[in-house]
Amino acid sequence: MARGDKRSSGGKRVVITGVSSRWGTELARTLERDSSIDAVIGIDLHPPAEDLVRTEYLEADIRNPVISRVLPSLEPDVLVHCGIVWYPEPDKPARALHDINVIGTLQLLAACEKTPSLKAIVARGSAAIYGSAPSTPAFFTEEMARSYPLETRFQRDISELESYFENFDRRHPKITCCMLRYQPEIGPDLDVPLMRYFNLPVVPTQLGFDPRLQLLHAEDATEALAAAVANPVNGAVNVAPSGTISLTKLLRLAGRPTLPLPHIVAEPILSRFGRDALGAADLSTDGLRLLRYGRGCDNTRLRQEIGFEPRFTAEGAVRDFVAKASGRRLLPSAHPAGLRSRLNTDHSSSPASAAAQSVPEVGS
Amino acid sequence: MNAEQAAAALTRVATEVGATLSRRMAGEYTEDEWGFDEEFAELAFPFFEFLYDHWWRVEVSGIEHVPGHGRALMAANHAGSIFPFDATMIGTAIMKEHPLPRFSRALVLNWAFELPYISLFLRKVGGVPAVPDNAVRLLRQDDLVMVFPEGLKGTGKPFAERYRLARFGRGGFVEMALRTGAPIIPVAVVGSEEIYPKLAESSALARLVGAPFFPLTPTFPWLGPLGLVPLPSRWRIQFCEPIDVSGYGPEAAGDHALLFDISEQVRERVQEAVYDNLVARGAAFM
Repeated sequence: MARGDKRSSGGKRVVITGVSSRWGTELARTLERDSSIDAVIGIDLHPPAEDLVRTEYLEADIRNPVISRVLPSLEPDVLVHCGIVWYPEPDKPARALHDINVIGTLQLLAACEKTPSLKAIVARGSAAIYGSAPSTPAFFTEEMARSYPLETRFQRDISELESYFENFDRRHPKITCCMLRYQPEIGPDLDVPLMRYFNLPVVPTQLGFDPRLQLLHAEDATEALAAAVANPVNGAVNVAPSGTISLTKLLRLAGRPTLPLPHIVAEPILSRFGRDALGAADLSTDGLRLLRYGRGCDNTRLRQEIGFEPRFTAEGAVRDFVAKASGRRLLPSAHPAGLRSRLNTDHSSSPASAAAQSVPEVGS
Repeated sequence: MNAEQAAAALTRVATEVGATLSRRMAGEYTEDEWGFDEEFAELAFPFFEFLYDHWWRVEVSGIEHVPGHGRALMAANHAGSIFPFDATMIGTAIMKEHPLPRFSRALVLNWAFELPYISLFLRKVGGVPAVPDNAVRLLRQDDLVMVFPEGLKGTGKPFAERYRLARFGRGGFVEMALRTGAPIIPVAVVGSEEIYPKLAESSALARLVGAPFFPLTPTFPWLGPLGLVPLPSRWRIQFCEPIDVSGYGPEAAGDHALLFDISEQVRERVQEAVYDNLVARGAAFM
């Protein structure tokens, strides 16, 4: 991984918006260990996890024009924009998403106009801009983002957000504007719609479709962001693992039982109705399209220009996830009821009563 | 003794199939980054082999023009209004007749990738959506790529116009070859026009199912699923001498006059070979 600092005179000051989001916090944690970075300042609406020691926290709303007075006073060299909602969900109103992603970015860029110390902006964007469609390139390269129609509202939001960045980039050739397009992440402790979907006891799939997916290992997701902060490049960069994995293979490796349903049935079950009535996953239109048609991104720019080589391939990330997740799932059954009852019989006169006693303990 | 041996062999085969299936059900199978599943393609091969040997009795010439390794772009005429089997038969011909058998990748009409199961099957046997970027990436990976420049105009033409090649689009396939320096191999297929003779089409039904066109053949849709059984015509496939375009360099890909020139040259070569093979074949169904 390239960690070369192009401007090594004095350390960098890095400002992170959305520092309390998972990816913002993880980046702050990584940057705290980096001695070439003088100061890490986090902006968000609520404070981040407590284990951040060097990070200064500042409560501010990037949607509020006040940010234009706050940001210049922080004298950042690098601004990392993590104040983005990456996972649309049916219960997050589209207006609120638009507000955070589009208006927030707009206000933030207005603040950047007034920040002369700024040398680079790194935005943690989304590969959702490419959408998911039946007949698209199997591997999107960065310049293909607008050659296909924008199908969903979230896709249009991401596209609008990016167009503000491009506009800013044109007006400020001296500031490096790096737009990272993240494929969805995978990790055992991630609370995102796609992971909730994979963790369903029975996973409904769309009958007759088997999308090619690229899921980025959570560790790679954080390290790629840190690499981009260390070595930002101008323009969009896909952040994706190499290779792809099909949904069927993923679910088989994870040992999840599947329930293929015609998509007119699968769609409501996997979106709002399923969540309200069945307690199942709640996927947005973007998620449903992804699980039908899939999406692949070319990661050449990430590897060659930012100089970050993802440690896990698409399949490797899934295998690692399965190994970790099944390790955790095994824990409760380490003392199976049968074994415990047999152990207990030594001390109890009646095996039946011992077994009866042990059941609630196992369940707890 | 023989019966015992046969029983033993059968048990072994059953065990092997069972082991393969349970391994696959555990997710232990390989798909490349395009979703091509070689093991699956090999499982499907006997079906195509049956069609090739017994149903259509395919005769092949010029197989030596297909390189055993390295990139190449095969451009063929397109026919077969319901399922264009020509791609599978060209692929089967290379697997069966070539001294160095290799799988080829077909650029498939985009609409097919909206369909459940069909999209899945196509992907697993090596089909990719017909997007120029896909072809370029495959060729850069030194694959053998199959393209049908007539596209829908080929599969959708009425039976009366059989074996008269439609226009070759905008020469996009030549652009792919120029950008990657891959040789173009013109391929002529005879027999595919008779498998589903399209006598008419119904635009109302096409709108209803969302298809680009809805063919009416002597058997389809009148006989239901039975109408999907292709007619057993006799086939011939000819691989012509490759056209080397690497001399022009990748920057020539923007030269439209050159694209049309080469495209027309390929079209004429395929048309010529189609007529030659049509004469050589004689009666269509005998």
